[in-house]
Amino acid sequence: MSDNDQPRTATDGGTADAEASAEVTEELPAPGVGETEDHEEHALPSLGSVKRWFVTTNHKDVGILYIVTSLFFLVFGGTLALLMRIQLWQPRAAAGGPLDALAYNQAVSAHGLIMVFWFISPFAFGLANYLVPLQIGAKDLSFPRLNAVSYWLYLFSGLLFGISFFQGGTFAGGWTMYAPLNVPKYMPTAIGSTMAVLALALFVASVTVSSVNFLTTMYRMRAEGLKMRKLPVFSSSILLTVWMMLFAFAALLAALLILTSDHVLGTQYFLSPEGGSLLWTHLFWFFGHPEVYIVFFPALGVMAEVFQTFTGRRLVGRKWFIASMVLVALQSFIVWMHHMFLTAINLEVKTLFMATTIGISLPFDLMVFSLIYTMIKGRIRFTTPFLFSFGALVLFIIGGITGVFLGAVVLDYEMRGTYWVVAHFHYVMVGGATALFGGLYYWYPKMTGKMYDQLLGKVHFVMYFVGFNLLYFPMFVVWETPRRVFNYNPAFTPWHQAATIGGFLLGASFLVMFYNLFVSLRTGEDVGDNPWAYATSAEWAVSSPPPLENFPGIPSYRGGTLSFLDDVVPASEVETDGGQEAIEADGGEVVEPDGVYATHDHGHDSHASIWPFGISLGMFLTFLGIAGLRPPDSTDLVAPGAADPVLVGVGGVGLVVLGVSLFAMAREPFYTSEAPIAERWPYAHVEKVKLGVWMFLGSDVILFGAFIGSYVFMRFNAGWVEGWHVFIENPIPGLMNTYLLLTSSFSVVLAMVAARKRNTPGVIASLLTTFMLGVGFLINKYIEWSHLFHEGHTPSAGIEESTFFLTTGLHALHVISGLVILLYLAWRAWGGAYLGEDEPIEYFGLYWHFVDIVWLFLFPLFYIL
Amino acid sequence: MSDTKLYTIIYVVLFVFATVQVAVEFAGVLEPETYMIGLTAIMILSLIKAVLVAGYYQHLRFEPRGLTYLMLGGLAGVIALTTAAAYSIT
Repeated sequence: MSDNDQPRTATDGGTADAEASAEVTEELPAPGVGETEDHEEHALPSLGSVKRWFVTTNHKDVGILYIVTSLFFLVFGGTLALLMRIQLWQPRAAAGGPLDALAYNQAVSAHGLIMVFWFISPFAFGLANYLVPLQIGAKDLSFPRLNAVSYWLYLFSGLLFGISFFQGGTFAGGWTMYAPLNVPKYMPTAIGSTMAVLALALFVASVTVSSVNFLTTMYRMRAEGLKMRKLPVFSSSILLTVWMMLFAFAALLAALLILTSDHVLGTQYFLSPEGGSLLWTHLFWFFGHPEVYIVFFPALGVMAEVFQTFTGRRLVGRKWFIASMVLVALQSFIVWMHHMFLTAINLEVKTLFMATTIGISLPFDLMVFSLIYTMIKGRIRFTTPFLFSFGALVLFIIGGITGVFLGAVVLDYEMRGTYWVVAHFHYVMVGGATALFGGLYYWYPKMTGKMYDQLLGKVHFVMYFVGFNLLYFPMFVVWETPRRVFNYNPAFTPWHQAATIGGFLLGASFLVMFYNLFVSLRTGEDVGDNPWAYATSAEWAVSSPPPLENFPGIPSYRGGTLSFLDDVVPASEVETDGGQEAIEADGGEVVEPDGVYATHDHGHDSHASIWPFGISLGMFLTFLGIAGLRPPDSTDLVAPGAADPVLVGVGGVGLVVLGVSLFAMAREPFYTSEAPIAERWPYAHVEKVKLGVWMFLGSDVILFGAFIGSYVFMRFNAGWVEGWHVFIENPIPGLMNTYLLLTSSFSVVLAMVAARKRNTPGVIASLLTTFMLGVGFLINKYIEWSHLFHEGHTPSAGIEESTFFLTTGLHALHVISGLVILLYLAWRAWGGAYLGEDEPIEYFGLYWHFVDIVWLFLFPLFYIL
Repeated sequence: MSDTKLYTIIYVVLFVFATVQVAVEFAGVLEPETYMIGLTAIMILSLIKAVLVAGYYQHLRFEPRGLTYLMLGGLAGVIALTTAAAYSIT
């Protein structure tokens, strides 16, 4: 169906009416036109070539890779769910069904992990990858190769998780991985469960790279005039999502690194009787609750876009809708303990977190009413995308209300660990996924240039919605069924059988979707630029699918509508709203353009590199190797077992592949242009690589903060002075290392000064001095650690030793990474690089100084106090 | 004042502060009766050092405030986590 003869009204970002602007100097290309030329110019193989999908760095290709891969994981996780539902057809011992006891536990755990991490978020980020650059008027993301790295790390992390099934079984302790059941002593599937933990850590690496990339892009590459408050709602939702991802996933990474260390190094964090289990819940849920919104926000963005388009109405209370999302994003970091009401935390803190939890429901009320009122004020067209989005709203309302029950301490005492929780979060999370399927139907014509069968789309929706409610609503009715247990009260049997039937209906509905979308690729009706009336964000102003570099010129909203600039315009001739000879950024800050406008640089950006694949393959193999390691001094607290030499060997190969790929990518000529004019508030004067480094450091603050916080928590729990055995009595080795690091920070600064003065020997000498000081730091640490080991203070000797070795060890790993970069910089400086151009040294310095700052806190905490 | 001179002065201050932190311990301030005073002094010294490194060596003082807020946001997160977690202990 195409209804593009309908009038257009502005919703987001001004109208997408290219003809309205006199600035347009090019016709928009027809679908596919220009692709051939692009391939030749960018050395990017054609869409039909398998090679293209291994080398592409283009955001639209990467988006499609994300979507297809995430749908594979939907099928993977869904199959595990159906196996569980078969098992639950009647209450019976595990041997009476298709799954034995351990297999059931693995299915439950893997289903949760796969759906939460490898399906929903990546599915949303497939859409985000494809659409955010289009919506903000950018050619691509800021760091296209890093975007490809994110995707390949995601794929390989999923592969690693899949392999864990064949290493004696995957993780079986539930998706929340509660301690102490998450450590090898209680894990019958030691290597497999270690591998699952590492798979998740690799996934988090992917997420972190992606967060940095999206944040940098959205703060550096918005079209002129596209201020923050004017972003299309989907892009706004993604912006807030990546902010939450940047901070929340760093806490999860800390938890996973500690858990990995407990598995392979024998540290004693989560086995510690003094708060080990509680520590896990704090770390996990500090991540876990923002994660709920990380999953749900993109769905909200889709709902807002789809509601606007198919009611023909601008979102009612749009700015309040966005303000509510901002509020929720902030509040999401102060509600985590409502997941811990049944742990040993005190009543005062439970009450406090009950209040914050009830508080976070209020902005959601506003968003829900905004969506409802948009429907009331508009004229609804019941297309497939709208049906899914509307269905998502209904499901979310039910999921939200039932969640408020769990936010109340006394009710939670009764309902925790039951199917009420299972039903509630499926209504929220799968409710969110429902909107994302709506998003897929909404943007499928844009991605493919083809329209699908609307009738089949509606059939899918009916089967989906009926199946969904038949599956999950009975769980509210028989809520007393214990969670994660395959046996239950026989009186509940009819309800569980209804749920099983609903599960299969839900699963079958996807066969309709896959058939419809697959067949439509070839036989679907061609669509123009915009098959949906009232859809006005920028992606609808270009062909379907869009050309390789998205726009026929530099997108601009300067005149209030979208136009494409193509002329050489000196900066001094640029007029803004106020007629100033500068570009007005958001917030009223006046920003001079970076330089004289260049002619729009058509066709010279790079779009292909194999090294993102190589780096990710190297990481994958390395993590396989780590999974094969066992603690060097296994104690009775750790399941005995020797390291797996094959896996460890594979890990060694992985390190080589990783090193070679990193070096090759650093040396590879890869050009990405930045539009000479763009909205960049509030980071207008921060160059994009620098901004990326700062974003990464923001995430690293949480990572190290969580490690330090874990130490403080464990020590506080034990009794800061009396209950904690301080085994490092001599602060001098720590002081020596402080001197070394401080001096190395100083020498990096001197290298930067030398580069500014075009003094090559000065640059090289300063960088090598920094290198030698870093090496000195490590040698000193080696001597200190050897001494401590000799005295019996090994990582597994106790929680005091565990916290010391792991926290300072993580810091040492950062130092080692810095030294590798330093060698590269020194080598480049030797070849005459960096003269008069100190940016690379400055950016390295940002990292190195941060490592220094971390040590400034580790030193007193571990050596003095 | 030239950049190099400023950086050098900061380096000397950092060096001295690190030494003072150990001196606090050697002076016996970390005995039980004065432990909190010693702990506070040592952590404040670390904080000042961190601010100096971030403000001058990382040039945060001369960058748009948005970068400072970014780092403060991360810091607020870990302080919330650590404080609330420690407070939650029964």
